[in-house]
Amino acid sequence: MFASMTLPAPLLVEARTRSGKPDPMDEARFETFYRRTAGSLWSYLYRLTGDGAVADDLLQKSFFRFLRANPAVASEEHLRRWIFRTATNLAFDHFRETKRERARSEATARSESGPPMEAREVLRHDMMKTFSELKPRERALLWLAHVEGADHEDISEALGVKTRSVKVLLFRARKRLGELLTKKGLAPEVKR
Amino acid sequence: MNHACRREAEVVRAAGQDRWTDELRAHLAACDDCMQAAMVAPWMERFSRISDREHLLPDPSIVWLKAKLLQNNADVSRASRPLDIVQIVAYAVVAGGWAALLTWRWEAVKTWLAGFTPTAIVSNAARAESLSMSFFGLLFVLASFTVMLALHTILAEE
Repeated sequence: MFASMTLPAPLLVEARTRSGKPDPMDEARFETFYRRTAGSLWSYLYRLTGDGAVADDLLQKSFFRFLRANPAVASEEHLRRWIFRTATNLAFDHFRETKRERARSEATARSESGPPMEAREVLRHDMMKTFSELKPRERALLWLAHVEGADHEDISEALGVKTRSVKVLLFRARKRLGELLTKKGLAPEVKR
Repeated sequence: MNHACRREAEVVRAAGQDRWTDELRAHLAACDDCMQAAMVAPWMERFSRISDREHLLPDPSIVWLKAKLLQNNADVSRASRPLDIVQIVAYAVVAGGWAALLTWRWEAVKTWLAGFTPTAIVSNAARAESLSMSFFGLLFVLASFTVMLALHTILAEE
């Protein structure tokens, strides 16, 4: 379960018409859901793509799809999973379509010769750069597991992989990040 | 085994907050997955906290409005799809009609066109008999239909 999903009751009530089909989400309910979800979804997309403008674009597209699909509302947890899965798919489509990975690496390389940054900016830049050295799927796995607190089932749903593969994929992603951190002298000492 | 270690979440939390118990440390010694998780958890914790809050998210009412506009556009294009299909069929019918008509009386048309000069029109007027009234009738219908289709296409695009 996504860790940040402890929610007050009102949104959990499913609105249904007499025919049993879910009601289209009205603006007030959408706004509530958006305010609870958009921040963490944007952070996820930003870490995944490394580009604020792209994250903005994908965030909006995710919510457009969400409103168009009007997924059956079982619970907010369900909706949240739905939107994270949609956002992940959109981000992966984006990588495939524009080969953004390469362009961003070039942009990062260019920005290294730019004006001096504040310490906070340097930290953010270094961390983003380290994270961008991972593959998109590895980034998504790590963010969902460590920041969103998603379990293997949620991750498998978000990334469209089998639940039993998540353990192996996550292990590899952590190993790769661990190696990167070790190489940069950032790995913590973990005493057994 | 492909199941997640049931202590993984606990380990991630402990590593992120640097709050270890002896029991969890002992568990790390026996669990490679948790060891890997513990290696990266503090960094991921810091990474998740680097500020990106100066970024302003789009207002929900704007997102709602845009989504509704997109939905309306999608509805319009869905509704006009049958008309598009009819238009394509009409193009095909007109093109086929011209091809059939010209193929049917190509020799006569060629002769008629060859003498299509002001003097020849007058002197060879009799030769036009080789093209029947039904041909000219069809020609008129097809030409009218083509003009209508062209006008419809132009006006629809505008």
